[in-house]
Amino acid sequence: MKLQIKLALYNTLTKLAIIVFTGLLILFSLEKITYSHISLRLKNKKNTFIKNLSTKEIGQVLSQEQTFTNYNILKEEYIFLKQIPYEASLKQTESLSTQRRTIERTTDNYLILTYRFNFENHSYLLEIGDTMDAVVQLKQTIKEFTLLMLVVALLLTLLIDLIFTKYLLAPFYKIIDRKLIKVNDPMNFDYEKVKTSTQDFELLDDSISTLMKKIADLFILEKQFIANVSHELLTPISIISSRLENVLLNEELKEDSENKIFASLKTLNRLKSIINSLLLISKVENNQFNKNDEVKIADVVTEVFSELEDRLEDKKLVFNNNIKHSYTILGNHSLIHTVIFNIMNNSIKYNREEGSITVGDYFNEEGYVLEITDTGTGMSEQQIEKAFNRFEKLDTDERESYGLGLAIVKSITAFHGIKIQIKSASNKGTSIKLIFN
Amino acid sequence: MNVLIVEDEKGLALEIDEFLSHEGFTIEHAHTKNVASEKIFVNNYDFILLDLTLPDGDGFDLLQMLKGLKDRDDAIIILTARGAVDDKVHGLEQGADDYLAKPFSLNELLARMHAITRRKHKLESNDITVKEFRINIQNRTVHYNLERINLTKKEFEIFNYLVLNKNRVISRTNLTEHVWGDVLEINSDSNFVDVHVKNLRKKLSQFEPIEWFETVRSIGYRVNI
Repeated sequence: MKLQIKLALYNTLTKLAIIVFTGLLILFSLEKITYSHISLRLKNKKNTFIKNLSTKEIGQVLSQEQTFTNYNILKEEYIFLKQIPYEASLKQTESLSTQRRTIERTTDNYLILTYRFNFENHSYLLEIGDTMDAVVQLKQTIKEFTLLMLVVALLLTLLIDLIFTKYLLAPFYKIIDRKLIKVNDPMNFDYEKVKTSTQDFELLDDSISTLMKKIADLFILEKQFIANVSHELLTPISIISSRLENVLLNEELKEDSENKIFASLKTLNRLKSIINSLLLISKVENNQFNKNDEVKIADVVTEVFSELEDRLEDKKLVFNNNIKHSYTILGNHSLIHTVIFNIMNNSIKYNREEGSITVGDYFNEEGYVLEITDTGTGMSEQQIEKAFNRFEKLDTDERESYGLGLAIVKSITAFHGIKIQIKSASNKGTSIKLIFN
Repeated sequence: MNVLIVEDEKGLALEIDEFLSHEGFTIEHAHTKNVASEKIFVNNYDFILLDLTLPDGDGFDLLQMLKGLKDRDDAIIILTARGAVDDKVHGLEQGADDYLAKPFSLNELLARMHAITRRKHKLESNDITVKEFRINIQNRTVHYNLERINLTKKEFEIFNYLVLNKNRVISRTNLTEHVWGDVLEINSDSNFVDVHVKNLRKKLSQFEPIEWFETVRSIGYRVNI
């Protein structure tokens, strides 16, 4: 999850918690307060009632019936008196409870004060009730209000937080995007500072730039070194190899010596191949090639196939060319040729006898995909990870493998902005995807 | 035929000298651009082997100077370890006849020189004969007496190269490089060259025994004429 969203979510959640907590607190204390208010009022009423009580009054009250009920018009309050069987030892008890009562066909919740007392040798039950409707309504209103507040505050803060964090973190993302993600080559690094007033981001920016500068310096040094060394080595190799060829002209040469000289020439050839491979990588990485050729991928595959036909036959491999599209890229023809050549060469090298190599293509959301699949020995996860390193080779009985083929592929694909993916299963085969976009 | 070797690496120049002398060429040397331009100005050469990196200048200047001279038909082969990408294209555009990157095989150099000679001088007979076999380089065909032998392109290349470098052992590496080009990481150890040679020999030996087509154990092949 992005930092910006995390921050916004965190802020929203804390605000949510505070509002919920306050809401609950208000709700709870409100109930308590109103409850105690009403009970106090009820008690006062009871006391007034008792104080004004006289025989005559009771007689009057209970004259017609055994019970007496009185209420106001809106049935918010009522008073109820009833004679109960006499108990001499009845203690004056007073209790409060919330109950439902039906008065004149209207049922309501009431807070009821129940009071039992003896008066002139009679026991009475007195109930004074006050409707709780107001309280319930208030509670409802507060609940709704709190909910509304919650939603509004939530949306509002989320929005504000998002906007603010976006503004706050903009330089950060800019640094990440411009200085880390888009840089696949330290040589093309953009040293221009990203504008920010946040000190931490400035530090980050500076650190990345310093680091990149160091890497770039090392890169340049390495590239120069490779180029110089390669060039300075090729001339002496040329002299030695010519000299050895001339020695071979001597007809009195013993077979044993002849063999040794040929072996030396072969070794020199190997040295030449390694140097040329390194030179090629160094040149590609130094952007010494132009990429203005219109390269038709299908044609390159056909070219490479005709070059490798002999090796395919030698291993009795079946070659399936399933290319359907005629896709053209702007690039360097000979370099693209080298890429496909090296991949297919590996597919042959690590294939089993009578295996197959399949080349297919399709379009997906990333662009045009060229897929080369073989039925070879395959690679493990670790081997795939290291496959593009220089001088990395699989355990193989192939004597003339320098482990530079895929390193060349890597530098050329990077040069052209082609993505490369390897999928492989040991002893089942390898599938290499080149993704052009 | 006379050859001017323009090469500042004296060791290499001497080796090329030895090899080409053995093949009957007359050799002259120039180790600097100045000496070379004097020689080129004064003499006609059949071949100028031109190194691009000279102590006192660029070999391309010599190429331009030569092209500015009238009535000259010197064949120029650029030999260089410079390895700049555009050198080859540039050199051929400037009128060089061929381009060889160092290190190269002397056999390969000789084959290229033969090819240029044939191209330039349109030799009356384009045919090379080996016993009763006749190789027509122009049409790239091989005949036995009057009968045409159907060789593949690669079989022809192999046969042609071995015959050009007759009486010398040609290693598989050398042969592979000549026929398939200087492909990086190609596996010259594999026997796929052998497959072609085997097919070639089968086709040739249908007509008469070819004991002159020798396999040199673990190294390569030799055509003895």
